[in-house]
Amino acid sequence: MSDDLSTSTRVIREGVNIAPDLRSGLALTVVLAFIGTGSRLVIPILLRQIIDHGFIDGEMRVEFVSTLCAIGFASVLLSSFTLRLATARLGTRAERGLFAIRVRLFDHIHRLSLADHNEEKRGALVSRVTSDIETLTMFFSWGGLALLLDGSQMLVVAIVMIAFDWRLALVAFVVSAPLVFVLRTVQRHLVAAHTKSRERNADLLAEVGEMFAGVETIQAYGATEEFLAKSRRGIYARAKANIRAGVIGAFLFPSGEVFATFTVASVIGAGILLGPEGGITAGALVGFVFLTYRFLEPIAEFTETIDQTQNAVAGLRRVIGVLDTPIGPPEPTRATALPPGKLGVSVRNVSFSYRSRSSVDDDALVLRDVNVDIAPGEHVAFVGPSGSGKTTLARLISRLADPQNGVVTLGGVDVRKVANADLRSRLVVVPQEPFLFASTIAENLVFADPGASRQDVMATFEELSLAEWIASLDQGIDTPVGQRGSSLSAGERQLVALARAFIAAPSILVLDEATSSVDAQTEVRMARTFERVSQGRTTISVAHRLSTAARADRVMMFEDGRIVEQGPHGELVARGGAYARMYASWLSATSS
Amino acid sequence: MTPTTTTPETTSRLRQAVALLKVLVRHEPGTFAVAVSGAAVYALCTVASSFAVGWTIDNVIIAYFTDGSLPSSRYVIAGCLIIGIGVTRAAGVVVRRSFAGVTEWNVAAKISDAVATKVMRQPAQWHGQQMTGDLVSRVGVDVDATVGVLAPLPFSTSVVVLVVASSIWLIIVDVPLGLVALLLIPCLLALNVGYQKRIDVFYDRAQHELGALSEAVHESFEGVLVVKVFGAEERETRRLSTISGRLRDARIRAVYARSTFEALLDFVPASFNVLLILIGAHRVGAGAMTLGELSSFIYLFTLLIFPLRIIGYVLSEVPHSASGWKRVSGILDEEVLVSKEPRRDPALSSVLSLRDCSFSFHGSSSPAVDGVSLDVSRGEIVAVVGRTGSGKSTLLRVAGGLLSPQGGSVVWATGSPAMVFQEAFLLSGSIAENVCLGASRDEERLRRALFDADALSFVDELSDGAETVVGERGVSLSGGQRQRVALARALYRHASVLLIDDTTSALDPTTEQTIVRRLQAIDGLSCVIVASRPSTVAVADRVVYIEHGSIRAQGRHEELLASSHEYRSLIESYESDRRAREGS
Repeated sequence: MSDDLSTSTRVIREGVNIAPDLRSGLALTVVLAFIGTGSRLVIPILLRQIIDHGFIDGEMRVEFVSTLCAIGFASVLLSSFTLRLATARLGTRAERGLFAIRVRLFDHIHRLSLADHNEEKRGALVSRVTSDIETLTMFFSWGGLALLLDGSQMLVVAIVMIAFDWRLALVAFVVSAPLVFVLRTVQRHLVAAHTKSRERNADLLAEVGEMFAGVETIQAYGATEEFLAKSRRGIYARAKANIRAGVIGAFLFPSGEVFATFTVASVIGAGILLGPEGGITAGALVGFVFLTYRFLEPIAEFTETIDQTQNAVAGLRRVIGVLDTPIGPPEPTRATALPPGKLGVSVRNVSFSYRSRSSVDDDALVLRDVNVDIAPGEHVAFVGPSGSGKTTLARLISRLADPQNGVVTLGGVDVRKVANADLRSRLVVVPQEPFLFASTIAENLVFADPGASRQDVMATFEELSLAEWIASLDQGIDTPVGQRGSSLSAGERQLVALARAFIAAPSILVLDEATSSVDAQTEVRMARTFERVSQGRTTISVAHRLSTAARADRVMMFEDGRIVEQGPHGELVARGGAYARMYASWLSATSS
Repeated sequence: MTPTTTTPETTSRLRQAVALLKVLVRHEPGTFAVAVSGAAVYALCTVASSFAVGWTIDNVIIAYFTDGSLPSSRYVIAGCLIIGIGVTRAAGVVVRRSFAGVTEWNVAAKISDAVATKVMRQPAQWHGQQMTGDLVSRVGVDVDATVGVLAPLPFSTSVVVLVVASSIWLIIVDVPLGLVALLLIPCLLALNVGYQKRIDVFYDRAQHELGALSEAVHESFEGVLVVKVFGAEERETRRLSTISGRLRDARIRAVYARSTFEALLDFVPASFNVLLILIGAHRVGAGAMTLGELSSFIYLFTLLIFPLRIIGYVLSEVPHSASGWKRVSGILDEEVLVSKEPRRDPALSSVLSLRDCSFSFHGSSSPAVDGVSLDVSRGEIVAVVGRTGSGKSTLLRVAGGLLSPQGGSVVWATGSPAMVFQEAFLLSGSIAENVCLGASRDEERLRRALFDADALSFVDELSDGAETVVGERGVSLSGGQRQRVALARALYRHASVLLIDDTTSALDPTTEQTIVRRLQAIDGLSCVIVASRPSTVAVADRVVYIEHGSIRAQGRHEELLASSHEYRSLIESYESDRRAREGS
């Protein structure tokens, strides 16, 4: 627990460092909150004064009581006003601070390497900037605010209690002290129960999500009842965990009130024991009883904030975890500009292994000491069985990752020395499963070239002989593509992605199976167009379909992380090696 | 939720709450009643505790300090009153909160289960129009929001009991003072209603911005490769920051509104309290009440403030809950679309027969399957060929009974066909569990199915063989491997007909050839395969060429090459491309 507490403190300190708004002016906010909770003291003090001094022989001292009440009213007004200042300060600073954390996250996440952006991790990254930050928002607008005001109230009341009578205060503190142990012990169980209910909830959502995603298969195989029984178990396990957390919370909630009754009884007893001889007056004792209730009043609300606080610290911890993840290929400190014109590619002694596969032992290497030279304007095809390293090399050339060993140069410049903006304006990758933003076709092209006009967009489609396809769409280039481009077929998405790459007019084009989903006829047509428009542009095609390879100036055959053959298509086929065998199998599969 | 709709909204909010309550409490009336009883105990003890405080001040504290001595029985009575009532009051709170929790989560479980069951009973046709994420949130957050109203409702009943009982008690103690005190109740309620109305607007706006932000974030992270490829990281960060800035500004406006109201909610009762002391002192001076009675009065008034303050938050839960329930009942009230299970006819001459089948997707003007008639004989392998979007997958689903045709009929000889989908769906679990899905496990049969699907060799190479866990928390298989496990699942069922959707994107030509040959070798097995590779098509007993949802040509591959120009140009595109290049 204490260990957990110290790591929590570290997490909070780091969070404050990221967003200085959270800390700046906090001292003043706390002072204002102290004054703001002052209205809670007015009643006990007034009661004491009126009981002790308000009456002489049963006759009320009108002027005294009126003045007293006027002062009381003024204090209430002042403290309510400062309360408003304190809560507004806390709230606005929190929002500004959380905004700063969000922006840091966006920037950092966009720069993370692709290995940290795979399918499994994406949901988590989205949660970091949405639901995790929301736990902090929740904390600052409820739990954190309550902690500030409740803490201030307890402290201010305690000070006044001591000022009223230190002996009675001592009795009150001693009798209510065991509450601290009760709170600490039960809190531990409460936190564990909440953690468990969150886990059960996540399990259930994952399980139900999988069941719904696979509904077609599950129904087709008559496994519906089996799956429903499983989800039912998850649903009731979650209910049970939630109920358990609720019951523990229910016992904790009124603990302050229970202690207050014992404390009040003891204070009255002690007050009477001390008696007038001890300098106690009736008014002081009544006022003190009211103060005691005020002192323990915030405990109930405090127990309600435990879960929220825990949640917020956990959320912040996950956020910091992301910010601690090193970013992908880092920007060079001093950039070298790429030379103008056509660019050649050179790969020297490159070895690579994906980080997730832990240590760089030999088995884990995806590329082993690879050397490649691609002349400016040349069209090269990377072929080979899946897992042979062809896509990985294309990614290293595109600097979507850096190799562990070796150097990649473009136009003679080490890619690690090229500024990101410079590199991206000269080299474009078209991935196998292209992602389209949920806007129109035209806007997806403009993403690649923010300066492009509608004419430029149309011209690109014409250049790629796709004008006819665009014309066949209801709204032409203004056709909305839907979420992820889902309104288009997989093949159509690839066509838009190709046009998007072309409008950027790069010096080097890397096509990673960019036409794998279009039907054979369309693919062949696209390939011919490409041949025409890519004249003189350095092109690297990663290809499964060997019709593409046959078109390239040179074919590089990958096997097990190495290039085993290279040369023009015709030559390799004649040589009768690995490529020839692969091509023969392709021929037999595509011949009737 | 505009500020112009004032009173009707509050009343409808109450009506909403009552209607919702009826629906929800029906599931757990007993526990809910216990929670409400706990709430009543708490409310009555609160009033009683003020009596105890007043009695103690008059009969113990003031009496002692005036007279100098007291009978010891008074101490005992005072102690018992204060502690006894305080502990009973706390017990009421424990009972209310515990049983409210039991009610809330048991009702949530029942509703979640009902939603999940309903969803799983709906046919493919219905699912085609849904998003999985949205359905999951109906089972999860929407149900949570719905039952969110159950926890605070017993509390609200305790507020009602408390207000009624304290009003009576305050009037009994002193009529003029009681009347002044009761003025606070409408004041605070009006303030609360006004506050909720104002703040709802701000929170709705903030919620809207949050929705926009998470949508944008989702898209931006999902498209991170494109963002990186075009060097648009900074542009995207700027775009997302702008949206977050709008969220921040909306929230800050809410913060200001809230701080002002919080301060007012603090100020109004506190200043009332000062006023009550002033008037009370006059009443004491006039001999109308004792100092103990005044203290007890102030004590009860203070206890009353808190519930009156937060009743507004409690009521604000209602619209949230109601909108959750709307989404949940949207699923529950929907009728299960009738999916006519195809007729079975053992006397059928073929194993699968489609007669004039037509199918259109909801909202689509042109049919996806248009008047298709097809008979598959025992042991026959039929290849379905067509361009992307020609209706091949839909036809397969109609034949498999997953989609009911609007026109025509589907008849199966016996049992039901086994389907292999284009996107192999594997559950997180072992390979064996995935293959035996929905059927009892048999080792021999499992290995045979894996072998026929050409999956045995790679499965045996895995560290745990068929027990290897796949999916999110296990080994990730390649597309081709997943596809083969899915095929083994279909073979495991020993169905007489297999319906296999296009698998060429995931399988290499050699594997595909091996599999087709093994399928052919299984005695009496009929297959309908959506295919695009000439090598696969060539071994089929019959090829069905589809265009715009209807059969344009059928026969053996060689026959079609000769008779159908469209078929030939589609299937021979690579070849003619090769010839063209070699010729040039």
